[in-house]
Amino acid sequence: MAERPEDLNLPNAVITRIIKEALPDGVNVSKEARRAISQAASVFVLYATSCANNFAMKAKRKTLNATDVMSAMEEMEFERFLQPLRESLEAYKKGQKGKKEASEQKRKDAKEKKNDKSREEEEEEEERMEEDQEAENEVEEEEVEN
Amino acid sequence: MAETVAVPVAPLAPTESDPERCEDEEELRGNEAEENNQQTGPVAAAPQNRLAKLPLSRIKTMMKADPDVSLASQESVFIIAKATELFVEMIAKDALVYAHQGKRKTLQRKDLDNAIEAIDEFAFLEGTLDA
Repeated sequence: MAERPEDLNLPNAVITRIIKEALPDGVNVSKEARRAISQAASVFVLYATSCANNFAMKAKRKTLNATDVMSAMEEMEFERFLQPLRESLEAYKKGQKGKKEASEQKRKDAKEKKNDKSREEEEEEEERMEEDQEAENEVEEEEVEN
Repeated sequence: MAETVAVPVAPLAPTESDPERCEDEEELRGNEAEENNQQTGPVAAAPQNRLAKLPLSRIKTMMKADPDVSLASQESVFIIAKATELFVEMIAKDALVYAHQGKRKTLQRKDLDNAIEAIDEFAFLEGTLDA
């Protein structure tokens, strides 16, 4: 699958925001510095991926997993990242679980709503039929009287 | 009359599970999260922005560019996104030290170069950035 060049870069707006939030107020960042940091970040992604993939291949797995990435961080001497990454992963897993349950609940609710609706329609139908029947009866009585 | 017609475009934002919280509240929160994030430019689905600022779809595309990579779990993509965020923070702060040395308040390209040369963890970057 052909990747466009822009797909291999990270969005400038987000990179800029991360930089700004990391630095104290009043510090500016030149365009060239920003570009270089963005490039460095891309290289980081590729290097980390390659490193993590080595661990996956060593374990004879085709799918790269979170543990592989953690091992890669250690290998790349970014041990300082391990703790915050573990915490983020926990939060992410919880969020994914919540999302799954929420969408399952939504599906359930939608189904129940649908059943309720068809029940309502049936009841309305019955009421109408009863009214018609009553109306007919009245007409017949009148005729009889006459 | 409700002002927000809650039509969730993206999946709900992850929140601690609270059975008493009604559906409407959750949808509002989801909309809020989206609005906050729209200030920073195009973003992926709202939920992951609570935890990762970089778009996971883009990260995944980059990972797939490696011919040796066949599949990557969602979690691994997330961790790499998060690690990249930490990396950007780290390199920006380390480069700032050199700007201060030069009595500057503006981070410049040469500050990055200095940091890369001086700091072991950044050795992998040598020779990779455009001149």
